[in-house]
Order: sequence, then C-alpha cells, then structure tokens
Amino acid sequence: MSRSPYLQGATINPAEDFRRMRRIVAEDLDWTLVIVPCLSKLCLQSFIRNFEEKPIFEELSPTQRDFVQEGLSTSLPLNLTANLISDGVFWKRCCEERWDLCDVSHYGHSWKRMFFERHMENIIELFIPYSTEEKTVLEMVPLCKNYVKRLNISQLLPPIREPEGEEEDELGLDSPYQNENEGQSMDHFNFKILLSKLTNLEELHLVYKVNQCGMNFEWQMFEMTDKDCKSLASALKSCKTLKILRLHESHIEDKKCLLLVKHLLDHPSLRELDFSHNLIGDKGARAVAKLLNKSQLETLNLYDNDIRDHGAKALAHALAKNPTLQSLNLRLNRVGDEGGQAIANALLNNKTLSHLHLGANKVTEPTVITLAKVIAQNNTLKSINISCNCLGEDGGKALEEAMSYNTSITECDVCLTGMGEQSVSFINQAVWTNKKNAI
Amino acid sequence: MVLSQRILTLQRELPEQIRNIQTAADAKESMRRTEQEKACRLRLELLENDVKSSQEKFGEIIGEWSTANQKITPQELQELLNNQQKLSSALLDDKKRVINELQQELKVGDDRYVKDLRKHAEELGLMMERVEDQIKTLKMAYREELAHIQRINQQESEVLLTTDKAEWEQRLKALWDKELDRLMQRQEKVEEYNEKVEDVVLETRDQFNDKQLGHNEKLMAMVRERKQLEAASMSTQRILTVIPKPDGPDNLIQRKLRLVRKEMLNLKAQYSSQQKCITQMKRQLTDRRNRIVQQHGHTQKKIQHFAVADVKKFEQMWLMIEDEVKQLVERVLVLDSIIYKQHLGLAWERPHMAFMGRSGLIQPQKQTQSPTHQAVTQVIRTQDLQGSQRMTDASVGPMLKTDAESVTTEVHKAESEGGAEVEERKLSNEALKTVMELLCDELGFLFEEKFLSQLAPLEEEEQAVMKLSSLFSAFGISKREVPRLAQVLLKHKNQKRLQTEDVCVETGNSSDKAEDAGASCMSHVTSEHMDLNHLLPALKSFLEQHMRSREVPASQNLSFQCEAVRDTSEDQAYWESMSNVISEDKVKVWEAAESKIKQYHAELTEISELITETLSLEQQNAELRVLLQQYLQSIVSVCVCVCVNLSVDKVSDSCHAVLLVIISERK
Repeated sequence: MSRSPYLQGATINPAEDFRRMRRIVAEDLDWTLVIVPCLSKLCLQSFIRNFEEKPIFEELSPTQRDFVQEGLSTSLPLNLTANLISDGVFWKRCCEERWDLCDVSHYGHSWKRMFFERHMENIIELFIPYSTEEKTVLEMVPLCKNYVKRLNISQLLPPIREPEGEEEDELGLDSPYQNENEGQSMDHFNFKILLSKLTNLEELHLVYKVNQCGMNFEWQMFEMTDKDCKSLASALKSCKTLKILRLHESHIEDKKCLLLVKHLLDHPSLRELDFSHNLIGDKGARAVAKLLNKSQLETLNLYDNDIRDHGAKALAHALAKNPTLQSLNLRLNRVGDEGGQAIANALLNNKTLSHLHLGANKVTEPTVITLAKVIAQNNTLKSINISCNCLGEDGGKALEEAMSYNTSITECDVCLTGMGEQSVSFINQAVWTNKKNAI
Repeated sequence: MVLSQRILTLQRELPEQIRNIQTAADAKESMRRTEQEKACRLRLELLENDVKSSQEKFGEIIGEWSTANQKITPQELQELLNNQQKLSSALLDDKKRVINELQQELKVGDDRYVKDLRKHAEELGLMMERVEDQIKTLKMAYREELAHIQRINQQESEVLLTTDKAEWEQRLKALWDKELDRLMQRQEKVEEYNEKVEDVVLETRDQFNDKQLGHNEKLMAMVRERKQLEAASMSTQRILTVIPKPDGPDNLIQRKLRLVRKEMLNLKAQYSSQQKCITQMKRQLTDRRNRIVQQHGHTQKKIQHFAVADVKKFEQMWLMIEDEVKQLVERVLVLDSIIYKQHLGLAWERPHMAFMGRSGLIQPQKQTQSPTHQAVTQVIRTQDLQGSQRMTDASVGPMLKTDAESVTTEVHKAESEGGAEVEERKLSNEALKTVMELLCDELGFLFEEKFLSQLAPLEEEEQAVMKLSSLFSAFGISKREVPRLAQVLLKHKNQKRLQTEDVCVETGNSSDKAEDAGASCMSHVTSEHMDLNHLLPALKSFLEQHMRSREVPASQNLSFQCEAVRDTSEDQAYWESMSNVISEDKVKVWEAAESKIKQYHAELTEISELITETLSLEQQNAELRVLLQQYLQSIVSVCVCVCVNLSVDKVSDSCHAVLLVIISERK
C-alpha cells in the first residue's frame, strides 16, 4: 500500500473518498432527527424574533409564512404588520386574544378584516369629542382602509361636560341645574373625517346612543344633533362605495331625515336604507319617496316611525314607478286606509317588490280588499305581513279568495287581524302549499 | 318521510310562536300609541277648554275691574275686591287642578312605562325561554330523526347482509356439493384404473414368465447345441492339428492387423496432438525469435550510432590537439631558429616534418590488409608465443617482432571482447593452426600461379598467412568466423569418423580406437585424421550456411567494425615524431644558451643601473661645468677646472672597460 505521493496525487485520492463515506451514527438511542430543528426553522425563528427591526415576510414561501404567522408576537405595532402580513393565523391569534366571541363567518371568513373592523369600531365607540384627538382615528385609516368593509358602531359618546356639571350629576342634584348646562353642544364623532378615506367601506351601521349609561341617563345622549346630521350627511355623500346604511334609534325627525336624504340623492352604490326606530313623519316619508326614484335602493326599512297616510301615499306614488325596490317595511307606523289603499294600488303596477310589511298599522277592510286584488294577479310578491290590523271577517274572506289564485306568496302573516279562524287556516294552507311548491 | 315532515312542521310552527309574540308586542305597541294619541287629544281638548274657561273668567275679572271705577263706596269696593279675589282664586284653583291632573297623568304614565318595561322584560324572558325550548325540541327532533335514519339504515344493511349471507351460503353449499360429486367420481375412476392396472400387470407378468420360460428353454437348447458343437470342434481341431489348416494363419494375421491398426490410430492421435503442441511452441518460439531479432537490431543501431559519434568526437579531438601541437611545434621551431641564428650564429635549416603538411586522422594505410589477415597472423603468432612459453626446452625460437606484439595482443583482446564464444576460446590455438594449415594445403588449387610466385620469396609461415587471408577474403569470411569455421570443420570430421567407427562396430572391430578418438577429439586433432574427402564438403557446407545467415548483416557490420578497430600503431609514432622535433642534442644546446642568456641578462641589468648612475654624474658634471664657466670668468679657477675634467675622463674610461668585458664574454 506504500504508494508514492505522486501516484496518490495523480489518481483519485482514496482517503478523501473514505472520508466522504463516513456517516455519523448516534450513540444515544433516544436521539432522533425529529427533535433537532431544521436550520430553516431556526432561521424563521430568528426572523420572528427580529421582526420589528427587520420584517421579512413577503419573500417567504407559503408554508414558511404560515410558520411565521404562528410565531409572531401579537403585540407588534400595527403600522408594521397591517399591510405586510396577509390574512391568516396571525390575525386569528390577534382577534382571539382581544375578543372572546369571534365568529369569522360574519366577516367573510377573513380574520384580518374582522380584526381591523372591530379595531376601528372600538376606536370610534370610545372616541370622545374634544378630548380624544382625531389623530388616533386618522392614524388607523391608512392601515385599515383596505380591509374594512363594514362598520357596526353600537355607541357614540357625547363630549365630556365641565367638571362641575359632572359633579352635580354624581351628586344627583335636582334637574333644574342640569338643564342650565345643556346649552353646550352635544355633537358626536364627526364622520366627515373618516368615511371619505375608507375606500372599501360597504356597510355602515350607526346608533347615536350610549351603552351602559347607568344613572347618568339623559335624553340628549340618545339623540343626533343637527350638526351631527349635517356632518354625517356630507360624509355619506363622500363615501361612494357605501351599499348599506343603517341608522337606528337616533331620534331622526323630519328635518334631519330631509337633510340626510338630500345628500343621499343619486348615490351611486346605495342599495339598502334602514331608518328604523326613529321619529320620521310624513315629510320625511315624502323625502324618502323622492329618494326611491333617484337611487337604486333595493331595501327600504322604515320600521317604527311615525308615518301616516300622506307619507304612505307619497311612498306609494314612488313605488308605482320604481323598478328596483324589492323590500318595503312600514311596520309600526300610523298608516291608515287611505295610505294602505294607495300602496296596494301602486302594487298593481309594480313588478319588482317581493316583500311588503304593513304590520301594526291602522289599516282596515278597504285596504285588504284592494290588496286581495293585487295578490290575485301579482306573482312577484313573495312575502306579505298585515298583522295587527283590524281587518275584520270580510277582509279575511277577500284575502282567502285571493290566496286561492296566488302561487307565489310563501309567507303571509295575518295574526291579530280579527279574521275568521277558517280564513286564517285556509290562508296558511295556501301559503304552505306555495312554499312546498317553491321548494 | 313522516319524521322529516314533522320537522318541517316544527320548523314552520316554532318560529311562528316567536313571531306571534312579536306581533303581540307590535299590537300592544300600536294600541298604546292609539291610547296615547287619544289621551293626548283628550288632554289637548281639556287644556283648550281650560284655556277657554280661564280666559272667560279672566275676561270677567277684567270686566269687573272696569266696573270698579264706578263704585264709590268703600264697602262696595271691598265687596268687589273680595269678589275679584274669589274669582281669581277660583281661576288659580282651576289651574292648579289642571296641573295636578297633568302631574297625575305623568305619574301614571311613568308607572305604566315602568310596567311596560317590566312586561317587556318578561316577554323577552319568555321569548328566550321559548326559543330555548324550541331549540331543545328541534334538537330532539333532529336526534330522533337521525336515530331513525340510522335505525333504518342499520335495518337495511342488516337485511342486505342477511340476504347476502344466505345467498353466499347457498352458493357455497352448491359448490361444495358439486365438489363432492366430482370427488366421488374421481375416486371411482381411480379405483377402476387401479383394477385395470393390476390386471395389466398380472397379464404382463404372465406373459413375461411365459416368454422367460421359452427363452430359458431356447437357451438351454442352444447351450446344448454349443456344447455339441464344441465337442465337434474339439474333435475337428484334433484332426486339424494333424493337418495344417489354411485358415489359421489368416486369422492370426487379421488379428494382428487389427491390433496394428488400432495402434496406428492411437499413434495418429498422439501424432496430431504432438503436432499441435509443436506448432504452438513453434509459434511462441518464432515470436520470441522475432522479438530478439528486433532487440538485436535496436542494439546494433545503437552501437552503430555510438561508434559514429565516437569517431566524430575522436576526429574533432584529434584535429584540435593536432592544431595545438602544430602551433607549439611552430613556436618551438621559431625559437630554435632564433637560438641558432642569433645566439650561436649558425645556419638553421628547417627539419623535415611530414606531419606538418597533413591534418586529420591517419587512415589505415594498408587497405589490402583485411581483418582476416590480422586474425590469421594473430592465430599463428599466439600459437607460437604459447608454444614458446609451453616448451621449456625452447627449441623453437621466438619469431615475434617486438613492435608487432602489442598490436596483435590488442587485436586478440578486441576479438575476445567482441563476442567470441567461450567454446571458441577452448578450441586450442594449436588445433586452429593445424586446421588453417590444412586449409591452406588443401585449397592450394584455388590460388593462381602468379600469386604463388609472388609469395615465394616470403617465409613459409608468411606465405601461409597471405594465402589464408586471400582465401578468406575471397570467401567473405571475417576474422571472427575463423574459429567457427575451424570448429565446424573439426566437428564434421569427427562425425565422419564416428560413422566410420559405427561401421567398425558393425564389422565387429574393437572400440579402443573410438575411445581414443573420443578423448582426443577436440584438442588433439592431427592431420592424419583429416583427408581431402572430408574437408571439402565440410567447408562447402559451412560456406553455404555462412552465406545464408550472414549475407545481410555481414556487410553492415564490417563497415563500422573497420572503423572501430582502426590502426593506432601509427598514432604513437606520429605524436612522438611531433614531440621529437627538438632532439636531445638540441635540448642540450638550448639549455646552454639559456644559461648564457641568463648571464647576459644579468650583465645588461647591471649596465642599465650603471647608465642611470652615469646620467646622474653627467648631470652633476654639467652643473659643475656651469659653475666652472662662472668660475672661469674669474682667473683664479683654472686649476679647479683641470681637476674636474680629469675626474670626468676617469669615469668615461671605466665605462669603456666594462663594455669591453661584456663583448668578450659574448664572443
């Protein structure tokens, strides 16, 4: 085996090959490769640790991204993570850390959207005018504008009053003193600064009220001021992507309604308008009727307002010509026979409305008889509710007869209308058969 | 389907309950609103009435005030005042009553509101309860349906399983039955075949036994017959021994022939195998031979190359040294001539120097004297030398020339080194000589008359040498091959003799002579054993062989061998002649001249020293003369002048004497 160095150098070095053949064999029998983390894993962990100084995310492969999302700290600043980290486990962790109930199906199955929407809602709900700086809201806008599609704001805080006032409140002194202080403005958060910047916003649910006010209750807390109304109206006008607007329990009178509707005229995308639990009267109704034909509204909800015959007539007039509206809810209003008949007559010409709610109004027999005519010939109407109206036996019979011709109505509520048992059961039977056929 | 319908009804009815609650609430709310509206209207009417009555009363009071001016008496005035007061208090009371009523209504409203809230709460609770109940019932229904479906599924699967199982078992049974039938059939067949086989075996055995018996009988009969025949043959043989049979020898010959053929075949086989072996060996050997021949060629080429290179080098060296030496000689001669002409005053003549004229190597001068000649001479002379050494009585005088001795030994050495075989060395020179002589004698017929006549004045030995050399040159045999030739001749002779000896053995002669010949075959061959008959064919065969084998290489080898072994005898003489340009006598003369010249040189140096002295003295003298001149100007200095002149004269005299001495010495 004593070869000369020349030969070894010239030919393939056997020693080198031998070394290459060697393998490490673990002497520890419990040792497995599984315990040893891969170098790539270690690298990713170091990425995670130093994410704040040097964020690396987009360069990674999908599986590596998942790993990083699992490991990242939820306390990282949002301005770093918001636009860098895609929707995934990280945002799920963030959401679950902050809120107990997380139903992602309400947010289009996007944890990121859920996080940012709820984060934004929280900020707005805790915004106190004149004491919280607008910057806190505006800072969030560039981070979350791509992900926020819906804002469901359940309270808007009024500005804090002077300390003396609060003390008096707490002391529970008699009311005359309080009233003196009420000259101060009670304006809420100004949406003007926000809505125009949220470019993806589609739904806005607003309630001008205070949750858990306790013994500090004041009527003014549950009202929308004129200034609020103005700012909101212009903000709504600027928000071109809005599809659904809900404005509940905010003490909207005719005047405010007029203002809002005026700004919503010719809105490019609005599809659903909901002014339930307000104080809209005939004038407001007339304004809304005007809006109906100047937009693409599909759903109009005026539940629990103060609309009477005139307003109903105006709505009916609009409805007769409207080609878009599919659902009209006038539940708990003061519509009488005049208005009811007008609406029913309008439906004779309308071929788009499928849901009509006239429950808890002051409609009586003549309206039902006209409605029966509609039901007999209209095939687009699918659901009709005329409960809590004094319709009487004759109305029931007319409806019964009409229902026998109809095949499209799958829901018809005629409770508490003073109809005969027989007609009610017949109507229910007819609806039932229609429903079965529909299925 | 029944259950699913039930669920459908549940799904329809249960939300209806909730909806009922909602509608009930709505109805209540609307009732409340109507009531509220009515109350409001009543209140408004009441307030309006109140306003009207109070305005009337206020008008009355105002009217009273106008009448008051008409009253003059204080009583009347007092009365009026009281009246007015009453009226106003009544008005106030009315107002207060209204306020109280309103306040009461407010309170009632508050209470009702609280009650409503409570009711709402209750209703909410109820609703939630109902919803929960509904959820429970729905869950129950779903579970039941699930269980039902599972049960149905299970039942169906069980039914399927049982039917499948039954079918499976049935089929399996049918299969088993079939198999059993087949098995039974097979068994029966096996039994049948067994019986058949047994029958056949028995039959065949019987047949075999019968046949064997028949055969045995036949055999016995044949044996008997044979014995009879044997007996008959014995008797006939007995008869035949008496009468020589013509068939017997034929049989014998045939048998022998067969044997011989067999042997022949065997031998042939052996022969063929042997032949194969031999051809194989032959191939190997030829290969080896070819290789060796190639190697030999290579070596020869190398040798040639080296020889040529050596020769070239030698020549160059020679030329260089010769040039140098010639220059030296020229110088020496010049010096010599100078010495002769200038010192001794003798006439010098250039000694004869043949070598100066030529340059280059000394070519072998005797072209005719071929190497074979040398070899022959060498053989003869060495023999002589050895003979002289061996023979103590020294009867034969040495015939060697002292100057030629070295040359011959050299040649001998070269030959022995040049590849002479050991065998050849063994071959004694004596034998060689005899062979040569024999050759010389026997081949005398080949020489021409003229040649022989030319050789006549030479001594016998010389004659033989010349003859042989000419012979060998004619045959083309080189000196190397001379020993071989001799050997071949000797061998040939021995063979002949052996043959003759064989003949002798056959003839029954004694083998004494053969033994003697064997002992002395190589070393002591005498001319007696050789005759012309044997020699000529031997020589012929040798020559033929030689010509065949050596035809090509001989011519090649000879060319450079000649150069390699060029004569160096001349060289020494040549160089010595160069060194002897100045003879011993001349050297002596030179030495004497040298000593004289050395003396002369010493004298000359002395003279040169003295000349410097004289120059200085002359200078002194000149100075003194100048002084004298100066002095002469004065009369007093005459005597001094004379003295100085005298001294100068003395000096010149001494110089003259010295010169004379030197000249005499030179003479």
